[in-house]
Formats: sequence, structure tokens, C-alpha cells
Amino acid sequence: MTTLTLKLQPKAPLEGEAITPDNFLGKPAAAIAGLPAMHGNEPALLGDFFQVDGDGSEEIVLVGDLRRVKSIAAGMTRGTVIIQGDAGMHLGAGMRGGEIKVYGNAGDWTGAELAGGKIYIRGNAGHGLGGAYRGSRRGMNRGLIIVDGNAGNEVGAVMRRGVIAVAGNAGDFTGAFMIAGSLIVFGQMGIRAGAGLLRGSIVSLKPAELLPTYRYACTCRPDFLNLIYQKLKREGMSIPDGCATGAYKRYSGDFNRSGKGEILIYDQR
Amino acid sequence: MQFDNVVCAFCGCDCDDISVTVENGRITQARNACVLGKTWFLSHSAPAHLPVARIEGKTASLEQGIEAAARYLAQSRYPLIYGLSSTSCEAQRKSVELAEVLGGCIDCCTSVCHGPSGMALQGVGEPTCTLGEVKNRADLVIYWGSNPAESHPRHMTRYAVTPKGMFVPEGRKGRTVVLVDVRRTPSARTADIFLQIRPGKDFEALWALQALANGRELDKAGAAEIGLTLEQLNDLADRMMHCKFGVLFVGQGLTQTRGKHFNTSAAFLLVRALNRHAKFALMPMRGHGNVAGVDNVLAWQTGYPFGVNFSMGYPRFNPGEYTVVDVLSRGEADAALIVASDPAASLPGKAARRLAEIPTITLDAHESETTKIAKVAFATATAGIHAEGTVYRMDNIPIRLRKVLPSNYPSDEEVLSLLLARVKELKAC
Repeated sequence: MTTLTLKLQPKAPLEGEAITPDNFLGKPAAAIAGLPAMHGNEPALLGDFFQVDGDGSEEIVLVGDLRRVKSIAAGMTRGTVIIQGDAGMHLGAGMRGGEIKVYGNAGDWTGAELAGGKIYIRGNAGHGLGGAYRGSRRGMNRGLIIVDGNAGNEVGAVMRRGVIAVAGNAGDFTGAFMIAGSLIVFGQMGIRAGAGLLRGSIVSLKPAELLPTYRYACTCRPDFLNLIYQKLKREGMSIPDGCATGAYKRYSGDFNRSGKGEILIYDQR
Repeated sequence: MQFDNVVCAFCGCDCDDISVTVENGRITQARNACVLGKTWFLSHSAPAHLPVARIEGKTASLEQGIEAAARYLAQSRYPLIYGLSSTSCEAQRKSVELAEVLGGCIDCCTSVCHGPSGMALQGVGEPTCTLGEVKNRADLVIYWGSNPAESHPRHMTRYAVTPKGMFVPEGRKGRTVVLVDVRRTPSARTADIFLQIRPGKDFEALWALQALANGRELDKAGAAEIGLTLEQLNDLADRMMHCKFGVLFVGQGLTQTRGKHFNTSAAFLLVRALNRHAKFALMPMRGHGNVAGVDNVLAWQTGYPFGVNFSMGYPRFNPGEYTVVDVLSRGEADAALIVASDPAASLPGKAARRLAEIPTITLDAHESETTKIAKVAFATATAGIHAEGTVYRMDNIPIRLRKVLPSNYPSDEEVLSLLLARVKELKAC
């Protein structure tokens, strides 16, 4: 296990792309402390800001208020990153494998364009969770993101594959222009959920205001949801009673695109 | 002395038919200009009494000002360059180079006006045209979330509504004008049809129109939610699909309300869908005289139109991360260079307060809230009155500005060139 404890709060954003198990593997603590990290426009070293202890294994533990540290574990392909504190923007963006656990809040674009692996956030997530960068054709493409708290706007925007589960509320434009995949919100979704949805499923346990381009199709008990809930439970998420076996109202849309997508709203009767 | 065909660089219309009369070293008349243009010409040509440079409020020479400003910027870890929408493209180019040398963020007024249109453009593409095409062809003109009668007073009379065009020989009579807004504005007087939608329902309205253009049917409840009747929506969609050449001008009612870039994306997608039925185009109603120019300059030099960061030595783009409000309100910027803009008066409180905490350097023709809190304030010549330069009209047409008055002040470009040279020396590059 390698432990990085924040000893000096960065004054400007610190680019933390170097903090990945792939980079740390097999390196002694001194070599890890010598890895580069841009501090604003100044070249710096990880050791300038972090106390590094450990042996360069596949497991990294980060301790401290890391809201100014961006792109932690971005692009990682293996291993585990555990964050005891809040994480900055782009946490695990473009990640391809491994696991990230945050015992705190995560910033905007967490898991953006994720291509594999798991992210578990115990606190809240920012905007663009599992989403796409501006101008990108695809957001998250495989993988799993779980948030115990709330998430911001544009959760799973232009998502292509994978699962996002938010235990709290989600902001506006949840699953906007989503291509495929599954997005589950236990709390309240903001306005305009599923705008431009091509395929895929958006599930909400609370009533939602839908766009005029959605049509009520039927009330059903989809089997796939039960499987997803079982998987989420195994990952440590607590699932509200009754939702695994209950009925859902299915709305198809978005008819401004193919109309092959669906928003499933838990029928609380 | 009279100068004809002078360009008014106040708003995005950049009208180039102004006749300016100069008497005793100041402009006394600006014929053809609108009320905003007249005020701009007359007030900006008034004798200024500001020193060329002030350091912490005390008069200094230009050289002393450059030295102080260069040192503040060169020492900064996360400098921000902002404004640029009311200066020339030449000054904008120098600003981009300065941002690159400094390794900082560069953002322009686009990020608080039509930045969301730029983001929509990247996401879905922009079906657009020039104002010349609008004048000569458009038989259906729609303003959405815009009040041109007050914000762009000559837009309707010079480009879009009243002029006679090649294929619209009757001028005003040959065009149908529609205004969509959340309140009745003075522009409604000119419109044939005024549609008042509920606040915050622009996306739903545009989305519903797109559904109609795609051949879908809507229910009455959906229309009522928007604040219109189904007949009104069907009528508008019908007019849009059966015009010869339609144009949709979108204003900040779309870009700066809830939904922002998704609102403009919905407008762009609607216009794309309409092109299956009729020739249709869209144009953002750009506000400042050269705000379209700074998008162009930034795009051709960095690849991105606003919110660009050079910390890593190469340009990165991410609205929400490198844009002015975010960089300031998160307390990341540790120095700011403000060119021809007044963010201390216009940005949210937290962002404006940050400007007062850090070394802020301003280039402006007159005193503003931002120059009052600036550590170093340069007084500069106004592009289009005291200095030449290039501006881009709202339809991305470049127009050359003329110099009609001499000035004791250097232009923005000259100050930025001196600043750039000194910063390069300090950074040893």
C-alpha cells in the first residue's frame, strides 16, 4: 500500500495525473515523490505537496482535502485508489480498469469518458458525472459509478455503455443525449431528464417531470433492474425496499431521436 | 471635418455606414448611428483626463506601469486574461500570445454571454448564414430570447426586417417577423407575431417545435406547459417549414437561463430539422462590437473559442473549469489582466471580490469599477475612434475600423505588445 498524505495545500490547481497505480507500481516512495505534477504553470513534484509512504504496490491511499488536485487516477487501468477526503475535478476520467473509492465528495467530470473499472463515491459528486467533455461524441463507455449522495447536472451525458447509480438526487439534464447504458437515480431527478436520449434506460424512484417528446408506454416489472440492484447491493450500495420487485411506468422517447430509449419511473402505488 | 462610412464598434451589428463629424478635436455628430452608437461615438471621443498609467491609484509613466504589470503577471502561477470583446483583433492576438507565454487562462466575454452557443456548436454543428443573406433572402425572421429594439437598435432596420433585398423586393412587407420571449419587450411592436412563453420553458418550446418539424404530434398538455396553445405551436412550426428562407436569431434569453448550452443545442437541432423542409439558418445575437472577433482569434490560434488554459504549455478547453467566473470564484486565479471590460461590475459577487484580492491590471479607455480596484490601470485609445483595427460582425464577417481622431493614449495593442516583450524578458523566453 502506498499512502500519500497532503502536507501542503496547493495555491493553484495541481495536476494529479501522475497519481495512478500504473505509475506507482514497483516504485519506492522516493521515486513516487519525484514524479512530476504541474502546480498552475510551475513544474513541481508530488513530494512537494504529499508525504509519501509505502512500497509502490497497486493500492494507493490519499489523505487530505484534495479539492485542488485535478485528474487523480485519470486513465488508470488497474489497482485501487482510496481517497480519505474530497477529490478535485476529473477524478478517474478516462479510466479503463481498477477501482476508486472516495470517502468524501468528488468534483466535476468525475469518471468522465470512463472506459472501464469502478468508482464509488460516498459523498456527493459534481456536474458531468460519467459524462463527456465538450465536443466529445461519447461519454462513459463501460464501467460502474456509484454515488451515495447527490450528483450535479448532466449525469451520464452522451453515455454509451455502463451503469451509473445515484442514491440521492441528480441535477438537470440527467442522461442528456445518452446513447445507451443504464442510469439509476433513487432520489429526485432535475428537469429535462433524458433530453435527446437515443437508447438506454433512465430509472427514477421518484416522480419526474418529462419532456413533451416522451410517451407513456406501459407499466412493467423489468427483470434487468432486479439484476442491476443485486449487483449494486454486492458493491455495498443500500437499495430501498420494494424497488427491486415493484412496478415501473415505462415512458418511451426521446421521439426527437429514435424513440428507442426509456425512462422507468417507480410506481409507488 | 466629416468622415463617411465609419464603423460603429459598439455592438455586434458593427454598422459601417456612419458619417462622423469632427469639430475641435472631438466628435460632435454621428449620422446614421442608433442611440447606442451615438452615445458611444460622442462619449468616447470626449477629452479624457486619466493618466496613461496608474499604479495603486498613483500616476505613473507608461514604462513604470508596464514594469509593474509585467512583474505581477510573471510571478503569477495561475494568471487570468479576460475581457477582449471591445478591442481589436490585433490586441486580441497579443493577448493570446501573452496567455501562452504566461501559462495562464484566457477567457472573453463570450463565456458570460454566448459561450453556450459555442458549446452547442461543438456538440451539434451550426447551420448559419451572413446578415447579407438575411437581408436578401429571409422571408421569415424569428427573434428568440432577444430584444433587438433595445440591444441592437439597427439590427432590424439595416439587416433583418425593413431593408429591401434581392429576393425580398418588398422589404418589410415581404417578411414575417416573430418574437418569442418570456415578456413583452419593445421589440414586440415590430413583430407580426409575439409568442410569450413561460419563463424557463425555452428548451421545451424548441424541443416541441423540433418534434413538429420531425412530423410528430404533440398533446395539448405539453403545449400548455410551455405557456402556448397547441394551435400557436403548430402555426409557428408550419410557418417555419413552409418559408423560403428562415432565420432564427437567438439571444441571451436562451444562453443565460437554466439549461444554457442545451437551450442553444435545441435551437441548433430545430434549425437542422427544419432544413429538411425549407432553407433555414441560425445566428447568435452577439452583444459587444468584437466579441465574435475574439472567438475567431482564439479559435484560429488555440483551436477553442473561449475558456482556454495554457498551464501545461498547450491549449486546453473546458467551460466550467477555465472560464472567468469559475477560475475567480474558486479562488484559483492569482493575477488578472482585464482588457476593455468591467468584470468587477458585471460578474457575480464572489468572482468580483476575488479581483479585488489579487493584483488586477486593466486596459480601458475610461474609468470603471474594475479600474478602481486595479493595482495597475492603463488608459488606452478606443479602437474605432482613436485607433485602427479589425472587428468581426456577429455573422463572423471581418470589418476594418477607422481612426477618426488622434489620441495621446497608446492603443490596447501597443500596451499589450510592450507588456508581452517585458514578460518574455522576465520569463527568459
